[in-house]
Amino acid sequence: MFKYTVKRLLQSVLTVLIIVTIVFLCMRALPTDFFFTEDQMMKLDDQQKEDILAKAGLLDPIPTQLFRYYGQILSGDFGTSRRIQNGTSVLEIIGGKFTISMRLGLSSMAISLTLGILLGVLQARQKDRLMDHVGTVYTVFVNSVPPLVSYSLVLVFGSRVLGLPSLYSNKNIGMSSILPVVCLALTSIAHYALWTRRYMVDESTKDYIKLARIKGMSTQSIMVKHILKNAFVPLVQYIPASIILTFGGTLLVERFFSVPGMGTLMVDAIQRYDTEVVQTCVMIYAFLGIIGVFLGDLAMTLFDPRIKLAGGGETR
Amino acid sequence: MAKEPLLSARDIEIEFSLRGKILKAIRKCSLDLYEGETLAIVGESGSGKSVFTKSFLGMLDANGSITGGSIVYDGVDISKYKTEKEWLTIRGKKISMVMQDPMTSLNPLKKIGKQIQESIELCQGIKGEEAKKLSIEMLKKVGIPDPERRANQYPHEFSGGMRQRVVIAIAVACRPQILICDEPTTALDVTIQAQILDLIRALQRELNMTVIYITHDLGVVANVADRVAVMYAGQIVEYGLVNEIFYDAWHPYTWALLSSLPQLGVKGEDLPTIDGTPPNLFYEVKGDAFAPRNQQALAIDFEEEPPFFDVTSTHKAKTWYLDPRAPKIEQPKSIKMLREKMRK
Repeated sequence: MFKYTVKRLLQSVLTVLIIVTIVFLCMRALPTDFFFTEDQMMKLDDQQKEDILAKAGLLDPIPTQLFRYYGQILSGDFGTSRRIQNGTSVLEIIGGKFTISMRLGLSSMAISLTLGILLGVLQARQKDRLMDHVGTVYTVFVNSVPPLVSYSLVLVFGSRVLGLPSLYSNKNIGMSSILPVVCLALTSIAHYALWTRRYMVDESTKDYIKLARIKGMSTQSIMVKHILKNAFVPLVQYIPASIILTFGGTLLVERFFSVPGMGTLMVDAIQRYDTEVVQTCVMIYAFLGIIGVFLGDLAMTLFDPRIKLAGGGETR
Repeated sequence: MAKEPLLSARDIEIEFSLRGKILKAIRKCSLDLYEGETLAIVGESGSGKSVFTKSFLGMLDANGSITGGSIVYDGVDISKYKTEKEWLTIRGKKISMVMQDPMTSLNPLKKIGKQIQESIELCQGIKGEEAKKLSIEMLKKVGIPDPERRANQYPHEFSGGMRQRVVIAIAVACRPQILICDEPTTALDVTIQAQILDLIRALQRELNMTVIYITHDLGVVANVADRVAVMYAGQIVEYGLVNEIFYDAWHPYTWALLSSLPQLGVKGEDLPTIDGTPPNLFYEVKGDAFAPRNQQALAIDFEEEPPFFDVTSTHKAKTWYLDPRAPKIEQPKSIKMLREKMRK
């Protein structure tokens, strides 16, 4: 187990390194003109521009730049922003955004895990009856209607009928977070309900459930002691990843409600060619994704005795 | 057998609704089960062996129900049970079942000991440590070596034969009166089969159980059964003591079944098979259900369903051949051969 964990961690580091390199190269492939504001473009002559670029090290050969960048990352220096907030360190900018996204993400996650799994369980227990149909209609609706449409419905209902603020504001974080959180939860509730129901129905048709009935167990306790636990195993693999990824916020919801989170920041940074910010954002996303999948795999081994990650060893 | 039957099924009818149509899986089927005996129910796939016996446990699939007849057990007609609560007084505690495939019958995520313990806790009203001790004892009883260690293992750490032993331990943990074994050895290899049959026999003696075997392996039948019932198209067509069925059968379907025994084959010749297919039970069956596949069928076989005729006091067959008015029909050669073989 320990050996496996170390191996996986090393692989993860390598993956992050590759991603960082690719993004770095992509950003360097852009014309250097984007390095300057319109204002600077007009006022500076070519020699001055060249001097600035040379000072920033952008005229060095690409491999030199790349290894210098690796060195910076290793020493914990992620550079400073040039365009979004000139001169501020990237980590400082991202830090604040990160907290905002995380707060929204975690609240929506808590809601959707609880409600989604609950809805899925209800659907599975009431299979082909009213509750199941209601849940299915909801799931199909959320998945088939473009998110902007369902977000608009939430927005209209929330602001017109309930009088909730429709834009995020730092002064009233609690109230103004409600609608974005609801929108975020909307899709993941459907997602969890769908999978919970599916896995539970799968389990409930298996032979060992028949044996449990023959034993004389009641439907109720079979549901709790056998079906629910077993259905949870395939689900458990994805939960850490989904939790972790909420830290990154979502592009769409954050844009829609003007939430100044990670998603918004990244889009801004790309549009304005703020290379340092883009690189760091992508690196964080990659890192979170990899950690999420890794934790999911570890969680599986805790729940399912048949899965041993160690490889080799005692297979029987 | 003048004894009172332990369980008595009378004219049981079971219907399934499938895609809006009604399938009559069991058509007025009757069976008496006597205490301590071993009864084998044989018949081809789809003849209703499993469905018939599952109805004793209220384990029919959701789209099926008992629509007629009665199953009297312990003075109560259990076929009228509707709620789960009523069935839970029977399942596991009075009547239990071992299913065909041990590879899928156990919960893959629960320790073996826990799965047996669940049974014990349900019927004996004890919990925790004490139940655990009993579950280890059960494992020992079904012949699993090193039960203390094995109880803490998961199903995937057991072989097929060992898993079937565990399934049997679960099924008999509550000391049921009746144990239904639905093709308990079909999924196992031949060397293990005999061991499992021996185990069931030993447990039967020790716990004083009545055992119903559902099988299409006539070898198993000859080995373990006291009595045999032959099922065809949702009905029992012939039943009797094991010798009576093997050596003096009268129903043409039983003849066909016995003639297909590979042991009777002659080297170099094709094994005999039963031509045709069983009737479609979505439609009403007229006359003797086997008549269309019986080359020697009588005219009346197509018109009217035969009643049971006595061959002996313990052996009855549902065929017009035994009617005094029927033309003289000889048992086929193969049946006589079986008898000859026995004499030797």
